[in-house]
Amino acid sequence: MTIMIDLKNVSYRYPVSDDFVLKNISFSIEKGKFSAIVGNNGSGKTTLCNTIRGFVPHFYKGDLDGEVIIDQTKMADYQLGQLGEKVGYVFQNPFIQVSGVKDNVFEEVAYGLENLGVPVEEIKIRVEEVLKLVKIEHLRDKNPFELSGGQRQRVALASIIVMDPEILVIDEPTSQLDPIGTEQIFDIIRLMKERGKTIILVEHKMDLIAEYADDLLVMHEGELVMQGPVREVFADPEFEKYQIQYPHVTEIALQLQKLGTALSFIPIRDEELAKALNRTGVAIHD
Amino acid sequence: MKQNFLLQLHPLTKFYFSLFILVAVLIVPGYIFSFAVFPILVLIAILAGVTKEFLSIVLKALLSVLVIVFIMQMFFYPGDEVLWKAGIFSITQEGLDYGLLLTSRILAIGAVFILFFRMTEVRDFVKSLEDKGLPPMGAYVVLSTLQIIPEMRRQANTIMEAQKTRGVETEGSLFVRAKAFIPTLTPLILSSIASTEERAITLESRAFSAPVKKTSLHQLTKNSADRILPIVYVVILVGLLVWRFFL
Repeated sequence: MTIMIDLKNVSYRYPVSDDFVLKNISFSIEKGKFSAIVGNNGSGKTTLCNTIRGFVPHFYKGDLDGEVIIDQTKMADYQLGQLGEKVGYVFQNPFIQVSGVKDNVFEEVAYGLENLGVPVEEIKIRVEEVLKLVKIEHLRDKNPFELSGGQRQRVALASIIVMDPEILVIDEPTSQLDPIGTEQIFDIIRLMKERGKTIILVEHKMDLIAEYADDLLVMHEGELVMQGPVREVFADPEFEKYQIQYPHVTEIALQLQKLGTALSFIPIRDEELAKALNRTGVAIHD
Repeated sequence: MKQNFLLQLHPLTKFYFSLFILVAVLIVPGYIFSFAVFPILVLIAILAGVTKEFLSIVLKALLSVLVIVFIMQMFFYPGDEVLWKAGIFSITQEGLDYGLLLTSRILAIGAVFILFFRMTEVRDFVKSLEDKGLPPMGAYVVLSTLQIIPEMRRQANTIMEAQKTRGVETEGSLFVRAKAFIPTLTPLILSSIASTEERAITLESRAFSAPVKKTSLHQLTKNSADRILPIVYVVILVGLLVWRFFL
């Protein structure tokens, strides 16, 4: 497997700040993997995303130590403009992710492709496809400034995936969405994974991470404290130390274990609970 | 609905028309020609179906300027032929002529540009300039300003409401409202400055600075009138110049 994202001893401090926001972070992510970054507020997740996208150090100055390598090329050798096609980044705040020069959602989504110089005919086909995929066809003629938070979040996601980048960095894409909308977004992310994209997701909804992600990176106060396959990280007793939420079923299972119930393994998805309790015959109600 | 022929013209054709009027008014001496331009513009506005907005903006924007300029010139332009005198004020023939000349030109030039912007969508005009070689950065600045003004107004209202819930008086006498202005304005300006950074990043994430030539969904077409009219303007202007200086 080729390594898509490779960080070696990366530390970063914002300009005019005394403290390092990222401290000595090293990890590598293979092509086609879906990794989730979890951690409490202020643990450096968004800054890490900015680093992978190249906004650190190309946009935000400050001190960056260590090496960031994206697709075999050092970050310092990229120009910011070249990265647009390579790494797509959907931000946390959906209210700012509007280009501000387009009158309707269709053109808003097309904006990135226009900037990449894609021929007009192809733009139309690709935008149609993405609008359908993200289920925002009904919004196509609306003004992007007049959308609700959840609608903007979908438009923002659509505007990035339409550009078809190899790496997708997605920072809390479902903060404004209801449970159904959230599931839909995760379905889209899974589809992107099936298309071979390398995905990095920041998210607080652990149940969904347990269901969809391959690997988990745990951030705590600027350090990368744990990393590995999702199941192993959740099962590791160290995880509890960082006071990050477990998937609900894992939390229940751990409680049961504390009370003396024997478990054959730590379940992370709802449907695994019965099996972990060695009661495979019991029907499960959702 | 069939689009109006005049509105369908290429933005640059309309823009060249404005420049044509501007130059013609400056070439032709006397105020009669310049005043004659205005009825023509009104006629164009009627044909394009924008009469109401056109006249109301001309009234609001130009009338007061014209009156002031005219009065100033009439009283204070130096001249010998005194028509009327009261104390230190006097009206001279030269002042009257010059006042009429100046106001006629301001009226013609001002009105033609107001008409231009009534008949042309700014995004079309910017697009046509982009086709002519305006850098995308410049085009972005113009277009985003248009969209951001209503957005800022919305934000100002939000801040106003927020300050109200914190007990800042925003209604009442002029003085009270003026006092409420500062706690509203400061966050508005600061947040606007802060959001430029976010906007820059948003643009960057849409590959704004990608090192390729951009394409555009928005295309402008030129028809035969768009090719002929600019030539007509030039011919008329050359004719006017010849008439003015050689005959």
